[in-house]
Amino acid sequence: MSHIALQDIAKSFGPVRVLDGCSVAVDKGTVMTLLGPSGCGKTTLLRTLAGFVEPDSGRVVVGGRDITDLPPNRRQVGYVFQSYALFPHLDVAANVAYGLRVRRVSQAETQARVRKALDLVSLSAYADRYPARLSGGQQQRVAIARALVLEPEVLLLDEPFNALDAKLRLSMQIELRKLIERVGITSIFVTHDQQEAMTLSDRVAVMRAGRIEQVGAPIDIYDRPRTAYVAAFIGRANVLPVDIRGGRVAPDPAIAAARADGAAWLVVRPENLAIENAGEGPGWHGTVAFATPQGATIEYEIAVGMAEPLRVVALRKVGEPPAAVGSPVRVRAVDPAACVVLGEGPDSV
Amino acid sequence: MSSAPLLRRILHGRGIWPAVPALAYLFVFLALPMLTLLAFGFVTIDRGRIVADTWTLGYLEAALADDLVWRLMWRSFWVAAVSSVLTLLLAYPVAYLFAEAKGIWRTLILVAVVSPLLTSALVRAYAWIVILGGRRGLVNQTLLSLGLIEQPLRILNTDWAVLIGMTQIHLPFMILPLLAVLAERDRRLEEASLNLGASQTGTFFRVVVPMSVPAIFAGLALVFAVSYTNFIVPQLLGGGSYSTLAVQVYEQTIVVLDWTRGAVLATILLSTCFAFVLAIVAFGNRLARWNESAA
Repeated sequence: MSHIALQDIAKSFGPVRVLDGCSVAVDKGTVMTLLGPSGCGKTTLLRTLAGFVEPDSGRVVVGGRDITDLPPNRRQVGYVFQSYALFPHLDVAANVAYGLRVRRVSQAETQARVRKALDLVSLSAYADRYPARLSGGQQQRVAIARALVLEPEVLLLDEPFNALDAKLRLSMQIELRKLIERVGITSIFVTHDQQEAMTLSDRVAVMRAGRIEQVGAPIDIYDRPRTAYVAAFIGRANVLPVDIRGGRVAPDPAIAAARADGAAWLVVRPENLAIENAGEGPGWHGTVAFATPQGATIEYEIAVGMAEPLRVVALRKVGEPPAAVGSPVRVRAVDPAACVVLGEGPDSV
Repeated sequence: MSSAPLLRRILHGRGIWPAVPALAYLFVFLALPMLTLLAFGFVTIDRGRIVADTWTLGYLEAALADDLVWRLMWRSFWVAAVSSVLTLLLAYPVAYLFAEAKGIWRTLILVAVVSPLLTSALVRAYAWIVILGGRRGLVNQTLLSLGLIEQPLRILNTDWAVLIGMTQIHLPFMILPLLAVLAERDRRLEEASLNLGASQTGTFFRVVVPMSVPAIFAGLALVFAVSYTNFIVPQLLGGGSYSTLAVQVYEQTIVVLDWTRGAVLATILLSTCFAFVLAIVAFGNRLARWNESAA
């Protein structure tokens, strides 16, 4: 049975329907990411789980217990805010001790647990600093220690890396993933960064306009996006209008499509396309519009007479110049099995 | 020096230059007259003329040796201190209500808070005489007609009347600094507190109040200063025999026309007021040390 279950959560703020029947289940000890663009309702869903938002309908179940009507201070749910929300009037140790003091834990036990929590995030040396005198990364670790010291059932993190610079972000992501594995706590992240979702989570729920679009392991979602929206959001993808004839995709019959003849959409990753010499044969015919050698790879844009050019990422050999701009080429799928045929295109909702 | 570069420095300069017009104004219209006035306490004045070569600390020493001066100062102090605390207790809920209110309600609360400032303190003090005074005052009439009391309460011409009047008249000075801080506070801190298990009440006293300490002490310092030096309220609501240091300054200077004594008492009033305000500010800064480390 799943540890956290959000069942059919709906919430409107005035006329705006922010959550439109969201259901998510998270297994014990795993990390789930809610991924989506800003305004898709992912933070509201997380705040519902913490009790800051009262859902109009739906249930929130944690560890088999329905906590939908429980006020936030009665839930065993750790929350790390996007801005960390450290208490500026308390030093690091007092911030971490806050939840213990509120629970009237004894002085000696509080001190021991605070020390342990600060050790866990390697901040013991900063115990008597005020938050304003810490760096962004240190503040984040204090916020995590403050949540973990209470040994909550679940840990919720709202875009915890947003306030960090790019360089620090990746190392903190790996650190946090290790920490969560060590503590073994069921966690839910919110992010709009698909790279972050890939790094951190066992499972990803892609959200769009208040609904869950697809849930799965990150790599499964990457390989088998269920909609053009998901395909474009996780990694880069070409979403091309194609015709299906006799169970095959028209421009490149190597790609099989298990659907009726007619118009469809093909999702193919840039690295799954290869450039071949121009001439008769299957594939997309066009000219090189743009070529950028990037070291290990060359990125191409191929104009094939569609609204968007085809994006192709080709491996580059040392010394190899890119194909000249304007030269005619033919583009084919490298692995036809890795292509996904969808009935609906990128614009349909 | 021609005036053009001076003007340019004031308009475009850095550091202290832009403040020069204000400082000049304060020097000419505040510092100079005040120093002149205070200086009267250190010379002998005979029939409206300063007697030459009579510089002396004798009048100040005499005043400091006078038991009456100390008793007046003590009353000024405790009346100001008690009314500052009363003001804080009354102002905080109003400011909190403002921070929680939305749209038109905010505007209404703000207007209600500021509008008393548009009437003069003198008028408001007279209004309190009508409300508190005698058998036919509003308070006594109401209580008598309700049968809650048999004899009219004696409120006017007591410490109570002075405290009530001061607290009401100085309320805006406390509410205004609190309004700004409470309305713009970071509410995620309160969510964090709830998330960590604190109740709503616990969150209020552990997070909201400590975060507003700088505003609380700004308000306390302001209200203390205006209460300590107010002479209208004690005079009108305390009655003819009720006196404070500020009332004495007024009476000695305007009624008795003993400018030397008035100036000496004003010197004592201002310097002690300054010391008390400094102490309040220093204490507030000590409580809000976290605020300095941010700067």
